[in-house]
Amino acid sequence: MTTPLSTSQAVVLVARREFVTQVRSRSFVIGLVITLVLFGGLFLLGAWISGQSSSHTLGVTAGAAGLEPGLQQAAQSQGAQLTLHEVDDATGRAQVESGDLDAVLTGAPGAYQLIGLDSVGDNLRSIVDAAVQQQTLTAELNAAGVDPSGLADRSNVVVETLQPGDPDSGQRLAVAIVGTVLLFFSLSGYGSLVATGVVEEKQSRVVELLLATIRPWQLLAGKILGLGTVGLLQLVILSAICGAGASAAGLLTVPGAAVGMFVMVVLWYLLGFFLYASLYAAVGSTVSRQEELQSVVAPMIFLLLIPFVLTLNLLPSDPRNGVATVLSFIPFFSQTVMPARYALGVASLWEVLVAAGLALLAIVVVVRIAGRIYQNSVLRTGARVSLREALKTR
Amino acid sequence: MLDIAAISKRFGTRQALADVTFTVRPGEVFGFVGSNGAGKTTTMRIVLGVLTADAGEVRWKGTAVDADLRRRIGYMPEQRGLYPKMKVGEQLRYLARLHGLTQSAAAASVQRWTDRLGIAGRAGDEVQKLSLGNQQRVQLCAALVHDPEVLVLDEPFSGLDPTAVEVMSGVLRDKADAGVPVIFSSHQLELVERLCDRIGIIATGRMVAVGSVEELRERAGAAAVLEVFGPGPGWAADLTGVDVLAVDDGGRTRLRIAPDVDDQDVLRAALAAGPVHEFRRWRPPLTELYRDVVQAGPEPQEIPA
Repeated sequence: MTTPLSTSQAVVLVARREFVTQVRSRSFVIGLVITLVLFGGLFLLGAWISGQSSSHTLGVTAGAAGLEPGLQQAAQSQGAQLTLHEVDDATGRAQVESGDLDAVLTGAPGAYQLIGLDSVGDNLRSIVDAAVQQQTLTAELNAAGVDPSGLADRSNVVVETLQPGDPDSGQRLAVAIVGTVLLFFSLSGYGSLVATGVVEEKQSRVVELLLATIRPWQLLAGKILGLGTVGLLQLVILSAICGAGASAAGLLTVPGAAVGMFVMVVLWYLLGFFLYASLYAAVGSTVSRQEELQSVVAPMIFLLLIPFVLTLNLLPSDPRNGVATVLSFIPFFSQTVMPARYALGVASLWEVLVAAGLALLAIVVVVRIAGRIYQNSVLRTGARVSLREALKTR
Repeated sequence: MLDIAAISKRFGTRQALADVTFTVRPGEVFGFVGSNGAGKTTTMRIVLGVLTADAGEVRWKGTAVDADLRRRIGYMPEQRGLYPKMKVGEQLRYLARLHGLTQSAAAASVQRWTDRLGIAGRAGDEVQKLSLGNQQRVQLCAALVHDPEVLVLDEPFSGLDPTAVEVMSGVLRDKADAGVPVIFSSHQLELVERLCDRIGIIATGRMVAVGSVEELRERAGAAAVLEVFGPGPGWAADLTGVDVLAVDDGGRTRLRIAPDVDDQDVLRAALAAGPVHEFRRWRPPLTELYRDVVQAGPEPQEIPA
């Protein structure tokens, strides 16, 4: 009447339960929304901050009005936005006082004065400095009978690169960062869900009922596959929303790079997830209560955090950083560093494949060890199971 | 026949089970009693393969129990185990499917057993929202949904109200009558005495007595103990082959007779001493048998590490 389950049937049954339970849970939807809000918020905040620091309002008195073209030119060359208002000295000072103006420029050639509230921003100061220097230099050169434009031509330095420059490097960086952040949150989030799930089964003792019907490794495999699929689903949804949003806003004009990064993110999510999820499951099985879980999971989060922080801090300014290059091949780190290097265009496909191969090897080893720890620990309640006991062969 | 054949288990330096042997026959309800830590749960876990025995084996119909056979055992663990946040019906269907039922068979079986145990109305509720008694009924459903060939229940009655105890007893009796060996552990000895065909008593990891209550009484020498109500104290003191165990002021005398003494002679002696209102074999309740057996049981042996 009842037929024995094949291994794959057992694993699929467990995986389906994990998937359905998770996707239907409130935390899945809330998690998605929170991540989106965070992303959107960070993006808006970033845009707002960069807008704040690069736009200035400057009052100019009649005596300094001759400097206006020079000021605009300097602002443009520095990538800043400058709004000029012609004011007289007194109203200028009043408007600086009230905050309507960042500063006011008074005086006459040779004796300019820049008046700010309590300080004048470096950015604005360098614009004014540049304009004044340029004006003075031009005047002096003219007086000495030298043609300023000829001098500029003769003092030019031509920049040449060995490899063609990438006009889209900014976008590539953005794509790499978004991908890295997505990977980090997916791996740490769904990895710890695996640990929580293992402890839940242990704490509620349902594991005893389950293990009377299926083998421990079938339960473990089902759990990892089920939750891994949920994580992948969330990753795809988030990537799609990010990609569509950025394209719609005209921020993303290199869809090729984005699609390439997406493929990389999925590949490395899978590699990283199996590596970390089996570890998370193993450490989860050594404790009996959710309260004890934090302390054993903390080292794993740290392990995930190292490449994440390194990637975000090193790669934007120095994509060819040596440490990052080495880490991008080492399992446990490669899943975060390598996709970012690839997205920045400093890692070639063969490098990615070598790192992926190494990660696969690590998975084979780690899954075996983790499976043994899990089998030895999952039915032992009470005190935390020591690693030595958990690794013992039965 | 479910044979538990000479199983031993050691946890570290503690010998949890030593040579535990007993048999549960199809169609019988077997009560497994013993104090806390005596080894009941460990034995049951080994039957289910949740734990592995160091020595000995468990056989069902003559063959060693393997994974495929275990799948056909209904199990209720001592520590109730269900997903707290999963709905009752969904959870039971999941467990039934893990036992190898098809989707439709699982649904039908869950419907049948939740009806029988009176929790069909709660099928859509999360387990954690149910009272403890109802959670226990769900747990029993989980042991029954795959129509098991053997039932192993660890303390199924603890925490149940009298109605639930009746329902649970009825279900166990029905399963046994259908030819399923039912083994359950309990500390409620009156219930065990009433419900079980046979009883096994375990103390510090060793079986100290196995048999029907009647057999246990016989083994305790209860058949040779008489209780006489009527004549005043002292009437039996001089009878040969009779050992007076207890006398109370109300005219009740308990005595043990030697094997060659005819109880009718004792009755005549009692009648000669005065009117006899009651004359019967003493029938100690399981509670007393248990106490005596456990006290007389083997001393715990320290096993050197």
